[in-house]
Amino acid sequence: MSKAVKALIVIVLAVAVAGGAAVYFSRQPDRAANTPGTPGPTLKNTGGGHFRGPENAKVTLVEFGDYQCPSCKAYHPLVLEALSRYPQDVRLEFHHYPLVSIHANSMAASLAVEAAGEQGKYWEMHDLLFEHQDEWSKSPNPEPDFIALAQRLALNQNAFMQAMRSPQLQDRVLQDVVRAQQANVEAVPTFFIDGQKQNLPPSITAFVDTIESHLHDKASANTNTNK
Amino acid sequence: MSKRALAIALLSFVGMFDALYLSIKRNAGPIPCHVTRGCTDVLTSRYSELMGIPLSVFGLVFYVFVFSLAIFEILGAGKILNRLFWPATAGLAISAILVGIQAFALKAYCEYCLLSAILVLSIFLLSPRPWAHKHPQ
Repeated sequence: MSKAVKALIVIVLAVAVAGGAAVYFSRQPDRAANTPGTPGPTLKNTGGGHFRGPENAKVTLVEFGDYQCPSCKAYHPLVLEALSRYPQDVRLEFHHYPLVSIHANSMAASLAVEAAGEQGKYWEMHDLLFEHQDEWSKSPNPEPDFIALAQRLALNQNAFMQAMRSPQLQDRVLQDVVRAQQANVEAVPTFFIDGQKQNLPPSITAFVDTIESHLHDKASANTNTNK
Repeated sequence: MSKRALAIALLSFVGMFDALYLSIKRNAGPIPCHVTRGCTDVLTSRYSELMGIPLSVFGLVFYVFVFSLAIFEILGAGKILNRLFWPATAGLAISAILVGIQAFALKAYCEYCLLSAILVLSIFLLSPRPWAHKHPQ
């Protein structure tokens, strides 16, 4: 066998080994320094925010998010999945944290969702903004995209436009920004579960595990109280 | 066996793994960071692809090329490692631009991308300088 053929075989084998290792590690749950559920700084009752899920839910998941942030978009399906798995036990409390220095359209997006909320469609717009993030986030003027989404939700267009320019809604978003800063939120998305800051979960499994451990802790605490 | 070629082969093997891992993870939901914060932001940003092709795929092609040169050298199938310098220089320039984009445009860092930048820098430093092989008349 010539040396060139040997070299080619080694190259092909090496690519196959690297590929196999990459596939293996990409399927592993993350157990490194960012172990989900590791207790972090705690969050006191922030006030404000929008709620999704029953008021008497056992676990409250607080999210500080930015509609233009790709990570927030990536985590959005995980949040929805967690809410759908525990419809009675988990409640989402969402706070705006538009990072306007790097996401030029994020403030307008927060206003769009608040404006939709004025017509009772906050969560519908919240979901649509994440789903269509690629379309509006690159636009120099995202307003027509937001209006098109508002039309899909059958919102009153004039009221929506007026609300987007409302100082009260701007104040509401800015108050959330202050809350984020007071909670030492350094990046988006940042999640708190029952007031405890979470490292970003790498998968829905890790997310659900963390929520389940909180539900389990609550159940144990209730059992001990009843004894 | 040249220790330099062996070191370059090892570095490029790690690079192949890194690039393959990113190519797989990129379309599989959130990409968690361990050291930095913002892997998903970086890897899903508009700078993360060129003509619809993820940059990690270009990285993979680069590392396979470097690995091939090193293996040919190690197995004595060809003295071609001295052709590495200019591709490594180009790789280093591109890596520097990408690190700059992370620092100034995205303000988020991806540890896998930073690892790749370190690997490219190491490969560049180890690559034989073409002028070193020119013998005086």
